[in-house]
This record gives sequence, C-alpha cells and structure tokens, in this order.
Amino acid sequence: MELFKPEFGLVFWMFVAFLCLYFILAKFAWPFIIKSMEQRADLIDKGVAYAQQAKANLDNAKAEADKVIAEARNQQAEILREAAKMKTQIIEEAKATASAEAQKVSEAAQVSIEQARRESEKQLKEEVSELALQIAEKILRANMRSDAAQKELVNKLLNEVETKN
Amino acid sequence: MKKVITAIVALVIVGLMAFGYMSASRHAAEGHETKLDPKEVIFEHLGDAYGWEVPFSHHYRIPLPIIVRDNGGSWHCFLSSRLADGQEYDGFKIATEGEHKGKVVSTDGSRPLDFSITKNAFGIFIAAILVILMVFSIKRWYKKHGMKAPRKGTALLEVVVDFVYTDTIRPIMGREAPKYAPYLLTVFFFILTMNLLGLIVIFPGGANLTGNLAVTLVLAVCTFLVTNLTGTKEYWKEIFWPDVPVALKCPLPLMPIIEIFGIFTKPIALMIRLFANMMGGHMVVIVFILLIFIFGANSLAVGVGTSVFSLAFSLFMLLLDTLVSFIQAYVFTILSTMFISMAHVKHHVQVAVDKE
Repeated sequence: MELFKPEFGLVFWMFVAFLCLYFILAKFAWPFIIKSMEQRADLIDKGVAYAQQAKANLDNAKAEADKVIAEARNQQAEILREAAKMKTQIIEEAKATASAEAQKVSEAAQVSIEQARRESEKQLKEEVSELALQIAEKILRANMRSDAAQKELVNKLLNEVETKN
Repeated sequence: MKKVITAIVALVIVGLMAFGYMSASRHAAEGHETKLDPKEVIFEHLGDAYGWEVPFSHHYRIPLPIIVRDNGGSWHCFLSSRLADGQEYDGFKIATEGEHKGKVVSTDGSRPLDFSITKNAFGIFIAAILVILMVFSIKRWYKKHGMKAPRKGTALLEVVVDFVYTDTIRPIMGREAPKYAPYLLTVFFFILTMNLLGLIVIFPGGANLTGNLAVTLVLAVCTFLVTNLTGTKEYWKEIFWPDVPVALKCPLPLMPIIEIFGIFTKPIALMIRLFANMMGGHMVVIVFILLIFIFGANSLAVGVGTSVFSLAFSLFMLLLDTLVSFIQAYVFTILSTMFISMAHVKHHVQVAVDKE
C-alpha cells in the first residue's frame, strides 16, 4: 500500500526542509527568544520582589511616622505642663517678692514715723520746758518782789548748800 | 445578530450541499464517475499527488514541478500539468495501474529516481515558511519592544513557546535545556503547523503531511540521531553493560539485546504514533463525508438525511483533530526531550521511563 511505503523523494525534501528550518531557527531565532523570555521572567520576578519590599518599607514608614507623631504629642504635652508649672512658679515668686518689698516699705515707713514722732516729742518737750521755765520765771519774779522773800530764799539756799556739804 | 449569523451559516451549508449534489449528479450523468470506490477515494485524499487540487474542479490541478532522473542518468524537469489526463511527456507518464500506480514512470513502465516537488513536498515547504514567519514574528517583537509583553498573535505564540520550553523542556533537561531547546522547539512548531495545515481543506492546506510515513520518518530519524550522537559514556555503558545481575548479560547478552532493540523501537514508536494519529483522524473525516455519497447513490432523500449526520460527525472529528494536532506535536516533543535527556545520564539514577 502506497501510504505505508515512504517515498524517497518526499523523504529527501522533508529532510532538506527540516534541516534548513532547524538551522535558520536555531541560529537566528530560538536562542534570542529563549533569552528574552527568561530575561523578562527575571525582570517580572524582580519587579514583584521590589514591589513587595517597597510596600513593606511603606508600611514601616507609616508606623515610624505614627511613632514620631506620638512622640511629638507627648513632648508637646510635656512642654505645656512645664510651661504651666513655670507660670505658677513665676507668679508665686512675684507674689513673694512683692510682699517682701511691701513689708520692707512698710517697715521703713514705720521707722520714719517713729523718728518723726520722736522728734516731735522732743520738740514738744523742749517747748514745754521753755514754757515751764518762762512760767516759773514769771512765778518767780512775782514771788521775789519783796526783799524779805529774797532773803529767805537766799538763806534757804545757803542752808541747803551747808547741809549738803 | 447571533440568529442572523446562524441563519447565514446554515444557508451557506445548504447551498454548498446543493451545489455538491448538482455537480455530483451531473458527473454521474456524464458517466465520468459511474461507480464510487470508497477505498480509492480515501487513499487518493490521504496520499501524495503531482498537483494540488482546487475546490469544485475534478480536473484542474495547481501544477507543481516534476523532477526526475531517468535510468540513463539525465535529469528531467517539467510541470505536472504536462502529464495531466494520462498524457505522456518527455518519455514519462503517470502510471494508472500496477505497482507504481499514481507515480511518474517511464513509458516502458520502470520507475525513475523521483525528486518531484509533490503536493506533500510543497506542503512541507509552506509549513516551513509559516513556521519561520511565526517564530521570527516573536523575535521581531522582542527586538522592537524589549521587555514589553507581546500582544495578540505574538502573545499566543509566546504562550506556546513558554509552555513547551519552560514547562516541558527545562524541567526535563535541566541545565542542558538551552542547548537542545532549538531542536525541540523547531520540531514542535513544525509538527504543529503541518498537523493544522492538514486539517484545512483548500489550497495552502489539505496535504496530509504528518499522516505520511516519510515525514514522520525523517522527524523520528532526527531525534534518533540527536539522541545517539550526543549520548554520554554512561548511556552506552547502560546499554552494553547495564546494572543487572551478571547472569542476565554474561553468557547470553540478554539485557544488552533488549536495550539495543530499545534504541530503535523508541524512534519507531514516535514515527508510528504521529503517523497513525494524524492519518486516522483524516481517514475518519473522509469516511463520514463519503457516507453521504454512498447513501446518496441510492436515493436523494437518504443522502440528505445522512449528510446532516455526517457533517455533524465530521465537524466533531475535525475539532477533535485540532486537539489531537496539538497533543501529538506535544507528545512527539516531550518524548524526544526525554529520550535525549536519558542519553545524557551523568551517573546512575533511576529515571522513570515513559515508553508508553
């Protein structure tokens, strides 16, 4: 049967065609195609790894940022508290200084009042003693108009001196 | 829209059927085809020819060059149209009966050395050119677009290349894959293209290429040569002095004989498998179509009834053959890969052998 008997001419042409096809493709096409395909597979793999890495980094960055923000908030609260504390302290201090100053001023005032009082007292005393002297002089003058009285006084004084000695 | 398309397709089919009946009955009336010989029709369609038939014509053939060397040693080259209808030319004719029926013979009946570009040879060239165009289209894409993924047809081809290379050749061959991949990929695409061309009924296709023993013989011989010419020392040692009890190989070399047989049976199995699968598929389709004419010879009504059946079945068979085309190309490639990789054993490992 013809179908089961390979025809020589056909075998020959098939062989020629197949060898030509093989050499053309093996030289110019397949190595390039295989290389390109593998390169692209590599590229895609690398791209996926890179994307995953980037995503992880991004997630990390978010966490980091959250941490920093929280820290900043804490710090802010701390600073505010400090400021409040400082404010009260300053007020306290100011109050204390003010009261101390007031004390001093009032003390000084008292001292000066005292001085003034003393002075006025002294003056008053002097005036009073002068007045008393004048009064005494007047009284004396009035009493010493008579000679008898003068003599008596002299005597008396003399007696006194004598008793003293 | 869908209904309109269905209606158009149905009308075209009915029209073609009517046309076929008309021409068939006219031929019958003219006495050209007095009796239908199914066997002859089948083998005419499966076999080779010196011209390429065209639709709707029983006489006209696309002429192809005939190249023969006569017994005197001189070469003759002319177009096959010179020998049409039993004409003689330059001392040659196409034998109508006898041992060389359908072949070019000298007028004295002896067969010359025949290097004609027959229908099958021409079909092989067409397939080769198609493969070159397809493969270079992938290459051109990579050249032009670099790392961008291919689109449309190129993407389809790339998926097939990727399937054959990355999923089949590389896992089996390992580090040696890039060295043998060009051969295996060429084999795969060549067989696939020839298979699919065989399923197309008009001009660029229609030649029963892989269903021809000569074609599969060449492919199998190539795999045989690659396997055995690149075989390692270990491979030959396992054939002539395999790791079996000495009694099995010393006085009577039982295992070596079996192994040596194995060297030849593997490519022969490749050859027969591809040939039988593709030829069988074509034969079933032709038989289904022929049923129409066998029954139609009795009465028109029976013929019409059968045609619906036959068309449905042959359509199903053609779809199945499309699948088989792919599977057989793949099987040939994967078995070649395994044979070649088995010839490259570095040290003694038990390889699971798929001898089928």
